[in-house]
Amino acid sequence: MTVQSSTRGVFATLFPYIKSHRTKFVLVFGLVVTVVVIDLLQPLLVKEAIDSYVTVSKPDSGAIVRMAALYLGLVLMAFGLTYYQDIVLQRLGLSIVRSIRIDLFKHIQRLALRYFDQNSAGRIMTNVVSDTEALNNFFTQFLANTLRGGFTLVLIMFFMLRLNVTIALNCFLLLPLVIVLAVFFQRKIRAINTQVRHRLGVLIGFLAENLSGMPIVQIFHQEAKQQKRLDLRNKELLQSTILENQFFLLFFNLTELFGDLAIAALVWYGGRGALGGSISFGVLYAFVGYIRRFFQPINTISQQMNTLQSSIVASDRIARTLQEVPDIQELVEAKAPVISGHIKLDGASLAYRPGHPVLQNIHLTIHPGERVGFVGATGAGKTSIMNLVTRFYDVTEGSVVIDGKDVREWPLDVLRQTVGIVQQDVTLFSGTIIDNIRFFRSEIPAEKVREACRLVGAEPFIFRQDRGYETILSERGSTLSAGERQLLSFARVLIFDPRILILDEATACLDSRTEEVLQRAIHRVSAGRTLLVIAHRLSTVQQMDTICVLEQGRIVESGNHSDLLRRQGYYWQLHRAGLLQEEFA
Amino acid sequence: MSSSSRSKTIKIKEMSGLLVVGSYIRRNWVVYSVGISLVAVGSLVSAQIPRLLGRFTDSLRNGTLGASDISGYVWLIVTIGVARVSAGWCGRILVHRKGRQLTYRLRKELFDKWVTLSPSYYHRNSVGDMISHALSDVEVVRELVSQGINQGASGFAMLLGVIWLMAVHVDWRLTLAGLGPLLFIPLLVKWLGPRIRLQSQRSQEALGAMAQTTEEVIGGIRAVKAFGTEQVVISRFESRVDAIVEEKMHLVHLTALFGSLVPLMVNLGFIFVLAYGGYLVTMKVISLGDFVAFTLYIAMLRQPMEQMGNVLNVVQRSGASLNRIDHLLHAVPEVLDRKALLQDNSLKGALQVKGLSFSYSGSKREVLHDISFSVKPGQTLGIIGVMGSGKSTLADLLLRMYDPPEGTVFIDGVDILQYPLAILRNGIAYVPQDGFLFSTTVLENIAFSDEYPDRQKAERCAKITAVHKNIMGFPDQYDTEIGERGVRLSGGQKQRIAIARMIYKDAPFQIMDDSLSAVDTSTERLILNNLRELSKSHSGSQESSLKVTLIISHRLSAVQHADEIVVLDDGKIVERGNHLSLIAQGGIYAEQWFMQAGKNEDVDLEASTFEAGRDSSQPDLDIEMEALEAGRLEEAS
Repeated sequence: MTVQSSTRGVFATLFPYIKSHRTKFVLVFGLVVTVVVIDLLQPLLVKEAIDSYVTVSKPDSGAIVRMAALYLGLVLMAFGLTYYQDIVLQRLGLSIVRSIRIDLFKHIQRLALRYFDQNSAGRIMTNVVSDTEALNNFFTQFLANTLRGGFTLVLIMFFMLRLNVTIALNCFLLLPLVIVLAVFFQRKIRAINTQVRHRLGVLIGFLAENLSGMPIVQIFHQEAKQQKRLDLRNKELLQSTILENQFFLLFFNLTELFGDLAIAALVWYGGRGALGGSISFGVLYAFVGYIRRFFQPINTISQQMNTLQSSIVASDRIARTLQEVPDIQELVEAKAPVISGHIKLDGASLAYRPGHPVLQNIHLTIHPGERVGFVGATGAGKTSIMNLVTRFYDVTEGSVVIDGKDVREWPLDVLRQTVGIVQQDVTLFSGTIIDNIRFFRSEIPAEKVREACRLVGAEPFIFRQDRGYETILSERGSTLSAGERQLLSFARVLIFDPRILILDEATACLDSRTEEVLQRAIHRVSAGRTLLVIAHRLSTVQQMDTICVLEQGRIVESGNHSDLLRRQGYYWQLHRAGLLQEEFA
Repeated sequence: MSSSSRSKTIKIKEMSGLLVVGSYIRRNWVVYSVGISLVAVGSLVSAQIPRLLGRFTDSLRNGTLGASDISGYVWLIVTIGVARVSAGWCGRILVHRKGRQLTYRLRKELFDKWVTLSPSYYHRNSVGDMISHALSDVEVVRELVSQGINQGASGFAMLLGVIWLMAVHVDWRLTLAGLGPLLFIPLLVKWLGPRIRLQSQRSQEALGAMAQTTEEVIGGIRAVKAFGTEQVVISRFESRVDAIVEEKMHLVHLTALFGSLVPLMVNLGFIFVLAYGGYLVTMKVISLGDFVAFTLYIAMLRQPMEQMGNVLNVVQRSGASLNRIDHLLHAVPEVLDRKALLQDNSLKGALQVKGLSFSYSGSKREVLHDISFSVKPGQTLGIIGVMGSGKSTLADLLLRMYDPPEGTVFIDGVDILQYPLAILRNGIAYVPQDGFLFSTTVLENIAFSDEYPDRQKAERCAKITAVHKNIMGFPDQYDTEIGERGVRLSGGQKQRIAIARMIYKDAPFQIMDDSLSAVDTSTERLILNNLRELSKSHSGSQESSLKVTLIISHRLSAVQHADEIVVLDDGKIVERGNHLSLIAQGGIYAEQWFMQAGKNEDVDLEASTFEAGRDSSQPDLDIEMEALEAGRLEEAS
């Protein structure tokens, strides 16, 4: 994508948000101009004092004091205005970014599972967190600084021209030089800074890895080798930080030197003018004052180019996400049928990538209340069948019909209420146990949650936690064991009460007591529901009314446990090899 | 301990933190004194420019200025400009370079220390914290010794220069009026700086909370969608975003206050100079030139004053960082070479564990209780147990990641505490549970024990662990990077490469800690067969000699062919024997075996020879095993 079109993308994304805050922006502009003018009056005031009250035949100290008093008023006003302007602008930026963040997040929530499977969590995170933060910097840094810097520059030029056109134009000759210098060095410093950050990243990565793998380093007795490697990276970092610093100092000192030379030039040129009487000394003084302030805004603005660039890239990415169309959409006149829990897959096929089908022509009928187990190696298509029943994905061919109605014609929310899942890796959020069970729906009464927990046998371990149901789970419930997490998710199922339950059985090694509790809970939870189990344990599979054996996207065998064993087919082989336990590897 | 003596020890601690920097500066005192003097001289000289402009003004006003004088002034300004810039420049380069070298040194010293520390240290301290020492704490120290020194020197010199020039030569009252408000700037920085820093930290945390919520939602998107809770999640996210806005607005209030107060101080100074100085000029107390110089000084002093405030903050902040670094550099590794005469033969022979009980320091609970076993070269010991049964602790003790009690673990009849760590660890190869690999090439990972990787040897090892074919499928084969920048490996591939790394090391002792858990059963069998052959064969390839092998596992199939198997439960050996005898015992092992291999269903189906009696089940089992082996052979042929 070209820079131009992406620049347009930024404005297309941001414009609607900015438009709704027009008046605030105008206010900020006005405030910035006022503040800058007050600041820039200083050299003019001294000039006025020198030319009108000191170097005249009758010096007037009273007038000077009056002038100072007047300026004091202005300065106090500027103090208030600066403060106010800063807050208005920052609040503006923050509220715009707030709306963008929320809109972005809402949009992402609407996207189908395909989006989440195709984009890594890290990428989405970057989008929601860092990209929006880069936009925030656009307002709080880029806009704030360029506005101020730009107005300062323009107003200095204006004042200079008012004072003396010839000297002003001569001073402007400096501008291109300073700009070139600033742009050159900023670019150079940015490049080196990128290198520094890269090398720092490499060093930190190396450190992080070696610290977490320290036992390996020590056991293989490779401390010296790793020390040498760290040294290599550490030295590289040292070199580039020194280089960065040298460029920075070069730039800083050259600017300073330029300032001194410009003053020397002013003294030379203006001094002769003053000597000849063509310009007053006050004017010369004002120029000295202004030329010193000439460099700062240019530097500030060129520094902000970095921020501008990254916010362009960021908003481009945000715009693309916002343009993403959800590929699972609710039919406009979708209506739910009478729900009983009957499932029919009619020649259903699914391909995540075109030409690579993961399910081929699946025919399967499951009656209400039936319990069906799915077995097969990793990649055989067990999870994909579940993805179709929940309508996380749409079939590429055939259809999935629940209670006589194609799932594509169901209202999504009713479908999701009807089909519940218990995942192997139970999703827990930071929050209390009770909120995690009712999924933060505070309208669900606590008593109902407790009852569900009692039924699945989760209450004993919940009461063992510090604050019972109110215990806050840290780091996604890492303090709970796999079995305990499963129990929580079973309680969740009882509360949400789906007609059809999909259960992805946990493969984790559990001690026999937990195993027993879990098995009992599964019984409790599955009673009265149509049950689809991705099974990993013989004990579970055996209890199923029907077992479907999947191989490479097809159902190769089905029947109950003893039927299948008698047939001595694929199931029997799996069984023999002990793969039913271990296939998750 | 009384409170006063405690505060004294804290004092001493703080002092010792500063010693790190102090001794560094002392060692480089020449560079520092030259650098600091140059910076100071540069600032003193720059204070001359406004004064020069003042003199120029006066002579212009008095009419004593000739055209030749003008060029004299011009050259003087140019000379002073060049002189002050070059002096400051050189001084800053020196000081900054030294500061960056200090960060390099500190990071190096930290890592040098970290490689000596034992796992217990890593248990107590998170990697994240340690990284932040290497990153932020070291960075703060650099700020102190480079920026801090530079800005302190230049600001102080300039302030002194200006005061001396103006108060002594011109008028002290005007100096006080003009500089007075400016002197508040460092105080302002000192007052608001830490608050701003704290608040900015808070808004970072708010941002982090939003990131965490996002991460949770993205990670659990299936559950979110399945339970139809998008709205709930969105409102959670909204509250996080609102928290960010709130924290940031607090921050904005502080920065806006700072950003408007500092110019106010400068402007007040200017106004005092304008009013009082203007009055003094008209009264002819001071010359117009002095007045001009004064106004220029005010503008000139703003930056140094802000920097002086910064210096105060850096000094304050660096105290804590210095202490943390110092504390780290003085951490004492728990596992050390004994001081007494040490064994200097390399390991070769048998491993013997006698009555080993162990509990971690600070805990009363015995993780291991009265463990005894011995393994001879060429033999394999299997250790079985569920999570938390103590089997990994056992491995840690053999490796001396923690020191076992004296007189419990022997190699070649010598207590392992008598071996230097280097020799001990050279003699043991190990595969960790998670198959930890480094983000470097496959080759370097397998040949981790070698300075210069031997490609052929690495390939042989990879073949033994059945990962060679996978590796040949990677884009750069053995030179493929592992990790974020290269290929992502499956758990099984990781483990197999980690085992190849163990084989490559070719050590007389091999420990595998649950290192086949992510490998499917038939590959597991293949790898174990290969390993068995390798550790029992006397001749042939280089990687072979009689080895002691320990296989720790929760999966019975991994240990089934071991010469002896011990079953650990809650730190105790509850069963021991070989596979067949354990099956015959009919205890935990047998129960697990039938569950894991899926035998109990067969028993049901075939009307249970098992029920009839345990002894009679044994021949059946052998037949089963034979059938299985035969099946495998058929598949292979």
